[in-house]
Amino acid sequence: MDRNDSFREFVAGHQQALMRTAYLLTGDPHLAEDLLQSVLLKVLRRWSRLSRVERPEAYARKALVNQYISWRRPRRAGAELSTAAPPERPYSSEDATIVRVVMRQALMRLPPRQRAVIVLRYYEDRTERETAELLGCSVGTVKSQAHYALARLRELAPELAPRLAELETDVREGQR
Amino acid sequence: MTWLRDVLVDLAGDSPQVDLAERTIMIRDRRRRTAISLVAAAMVVVTALGVTVAARLLPPGPDDAASVSDLPAKGVGPLSHAVRTYCRPASGRAPEDCRDGEWRLVTRDGRTYRVPDALPGLVPGRTGLRDSPLAISRDGGKIAYYGAEEETFVVRDLASGRRTTAPAKVPKEWLYSRTRLMLSDDGRYVTFMKNPQFKDPGLIFDLRAGAVRELPNGWVPAGLSPDGGTLTLSQYAPRSMLRTIPRLWTTSGGGTSVTLPQDYEFSPLAPDGRSIAAVERYFARDFPCPRLGNLVVLDARTGVKLRSVIVQGLDAGVTSLSLRTWLGPEEVTALAESVPCDLEAYHEGPDEEAEQLDQPYRTLTAYAVNVETGRARKLTTYTAQDFFEIVLPGAV
Repeated sequence: MDRNDSFREFVAGHQQALMRTAYLLTGDPHLAEDLLQSVLLKVLRRWSRLSRVERPEAYARKALVNQYISWRRPRRAGAELSTAAPPERPYSSEDATIVRVVMRQALMRLPPRQRAVIVLRYYEDRTERETAELLGCSVGTVKSQAHYALARLRELAPELAPRLAELETDVREGQR
Repeated sequence: MTWLRDVLVDLAGDSPQVDLAERTIMIRDRRRRTAISLVAAAMVVVTALGVTVAARLLPPGPDDAASVSDLPAKGVGPLSHAVRTYCRPASGRAPEDCRDGEWRLVTRDGRTYRVPDALPGLVPGRTGLRDSPLAISRDGGKIAYYGAEEETFVVRDLASGRRTTAPAKVPKEWLYSRTRLMLSDDGRYVTFMKNPQFKDPGLIFDLRAGAVRELPNGWVPAGLSPDGGTLTLSQYAPRSMLRTIPRLWTTSGGGTSVTLPQDYEFSPLAPDGRSIAAVERYFARDFPCPRLGNLVVLDARTGVKLRSVIVQGLDAGVTSLSLRTWLGPEEVTALAESVPCDLEAYHEGPDEEAEQLDQPYRTLTAYAVNVETGRARKLTTYTAQDFFEIVLPGAV
């Protein structure tokens, strides 16, 4: 087996999970693919070392999140907006399809670091400490970013505000 | 929290299906071709400057740099340890007459030999991925290694010079990631595995009977019963597990495994053949640098914790331990290093195509640790580039 073979196996085993995170971060399939592609290139350039460490995917995941936050490339106009629009009328927060559209739009309007905190804390289910280490910031920053992100989501999706408020209450109680 | 997670999982389900491996390799190759011509021009200047700077600034090198000669055909005394050398350390200097990927055998009376017929490992980041393993029997009198000419594993009795070759060839291409080789006390059985696993199998050879058996890969061989019939394996990542495969030579089963609720660094199987020592490691998820916890003794079959003690008597600043040779029923050797975890280097380390440097040589301190009391006493020190580049008798 040469280094390319083992890299191929690594990619086969981890690219979909990384892609899902990249998609939630960028909100756009093409940008997600670009982001993951550039991260995999970084991984490949270090592969002979990374293939010998216990958790090569850890490197890839951290690189993905940080590259996303520091991305300077111009984002395509409208790329972050869903083509599906939520209905004009009031809707029930029990309607899964509409909730999804609304959440997607709201999520994509968050600043990158807040979006990353939401994805890491609530999608990847990471602890505040793990999130802080991935983002290279303090636990306090993660807490405040999560608080601001949830507050902003409540503003952006008022129909979901009660559920988001419950969520923040749960988080605060969990911290006690 | 479940509600938001469900929504996010639902959204993530829209992510595109991709296969980026081939494209990534192609882009890398194209960039590399462009870079090579530029690097070649710069090389002359950098080399000249580098030699001058290195001569002035580098600290003393390893103490294993004593004169090294080829392993004689016979008449060599028992080994203390073996060290693998890579010759471009990022700081400090390499041993005299260094050869990349070569194992150096060090006898208890301090003589140093190279094994000229062993296939050298390739240098990570410079020329490839090959990791050519070596093992030493518990009495220090026999070694196992990959014979370059035989293209399989060879067991060599150092005193008599007798060489025995495994009954089946092992493709060189199977020597990658972290390879592990275990040699039974009597030199009859050789177990080969690697971690992380990718796709080809682990193997155990019976050199006397001329038999070979495939094994699940991705494990670390921890111990073999004296009759060669029961194999104990450990796995440290991504989850800590123990596995026992009984009736190795009469059934093809994979045995039974137990997943442990904690990350561990395991010892070899204890002399009682039933228990195994381990050091607790606490990871923030996905991070490579663990925090050390207690020393525990586990039932190797069930994973049940039998004892847990705090290790006492280590030098301040020890950051990681690697459990090796058992010195008796209650004492196990622990190699200790004091290298602060450099997350920055791990996550944003140098691009190996530009840097291509090896780990610096560092001092590893060996302690005998009592698994009943946790008390550690210092034994000796070794110089090696990391835990993976040093082998002690009777331990993987």
